[in-house]
Amino acid sequence: MQMQISDVGGVTKAALFGRLDSRSVRDDDQGEAYFFAHIPKEQPAVVDMSDVSFIASLGVRMLIDTARALDRSGAKLALYGANDNVMDILKWAEIRQVILVVDTEAEAVAAVMG
Amino acid sequence: MSETEQTQIITLARALDSAPGDRLHCLELIDCFDTDRRHVVGPLGVKIGRTPPADIVLLDSEVSRSHCFVAIANNELMVSDLGSTNGTYVDGVRVEGTVPLPVGSVLQIGKRSLQHEFRTTAEISQSDELDRELQRASAYIQALLPPPSRDGPIRTDWVHVPCARLGGDAFGYGQLADDVFVAYLIDVAGHGAGAAMLAVAVMSQLRQRSLPNTDMRSPAQVLTTLNRLYQMDEQAGLFFTIWYGVYDARTRRLDYACGGQHPALLVPPDRSQAIPVGNRNLVIGAVPGIGFKQASIDVPPGALIYLFSDGVFEITDRTGRQWNMSDLERCILEPRVEGVGETERLFHTVREAAVPGPLEDDFSLVVAQFD
Repeated sequence: MQMQISDVGGVTKAALFGRLDSRSVRDDDQGEAYFFAHIPKEQPAVVDMSDVSFIASLGVRMLIDTARALDRSGAKLALYGANDNVMDILKWAEIRQVILVVDTEAEAVAAVMG
Repeated sequence: MSETEQTQIITLARALDSAPGDRLHCLELIDCFDTDRRHVVGPLGVKIGRTPPADIVLLDSEVSRSHCFVAIANNELMVSDLGSTNGTYVDGVRVEGTVPLPVGSVLQIGKRSLQHEFRTTAEISQSDELDRELQRASAYIQALLPPPSRDGPIRTDWVHVPCARLGGDAFGYGQLADDVFVAYLIDVAGHGAGAAMLAVAVMSQLRQRSLPNTDMRSPAQVLTTLNRLYQMDEQAGLFFTIWYGVYDARTRRLDYACGGQHPALLVPPDRSQAIPVGNRNLVIGAVPGIGFKQASIDVPPGALIYLFSDGVFEITDRTGRQWNMSDLERCILEPRVEGVGETERLFHTVREAAVPGPLEDDFSLVVAQFD
């Protein structure tokens, strides 16, 4: 997994790339610890999943952990662009109860700002 | 499993005389949990193959008789392929000629993978002791799993192969009352000791039917209670998914609930389709105080139910394609093989389809056949 984190007008945008499998999520340099540390918790965030080819349960945990941390300070997390395989896994995890899931970046930004 | 597919290791590589602080080059099987999985590479090097006189013998059909040679040069390991049929790989790259095998890299031969470790004798002793502890922990978890059931109105069989020495999967089944049966499979996010400890804790409560103020016949109630008891904030950040089902043989009705897990699959006797048996609820432990839904399905006589962890279908195949559940459905609906159990057939189908080396996740598969 690789990631790019930027600020788009007060919304954190995290673009994830590659496989969110157990090994990559646990990676010290580019894994969940890095992701969690570099997402400001006090402002809304969107996650671009369009280049994620696979997500394992630890990847789901990374997203849920982040959403819960944002929620504690009243901020929202949305993700968008997941492919069918990734979306299947997110649907079975019923992640929509914790994270906003939409199709496009514009929808994601609107959802977290709303 | 045929004899030719079994893997045995015979090694002539002996522990070498060395001072305690000296480091030794070791090749360690990473998909083998035995304490004799480590092989020291001596000054003469080691030959790896399928039959003696190789120093490390791997009885694997994809390993050639004389497969590759690992030597020490300038205190580095160098590996040469010896004209093997299926090739030798270092970190996924096929070996051409002689190439270095850096410390930490993985040497892949057939279905087996060996990691290069550079350890002192003291570290080796310490690692051996840890291996023994993990082996005992693994044996304990295996002992908690129910035996296959060959008789009665519901016959069960299973395969459980952790991808690490300790996995995060657990399952169980049995009678709740006359004519009432329960089955469940839990999958803790991640693997290793932490995940295994949570899996054991949950499995023990389900085995003892000891959830407080909970009707164990109600999947929704069971998931609601588990969610209350196992919030991830209080479980070192761990959560789990679960499939929990209760079957009443008098009505042939199966009540079930999934907490963040994919569905089980029901296959009628004509094997015409695989019907998903699942509903959508959040993973267990993510949010306190939420409710869980359950659903029901009628089980036709002679049907089979396949209950499995995501490691059964979330593999990368040998073409590099990521599998999903429809790939497993296709495998399940393939004709059964005379004399081979369903769990064994599916394990080998998946194992053969996946890239060589250890599976990416724990593999847990339970098949139940109904009268």
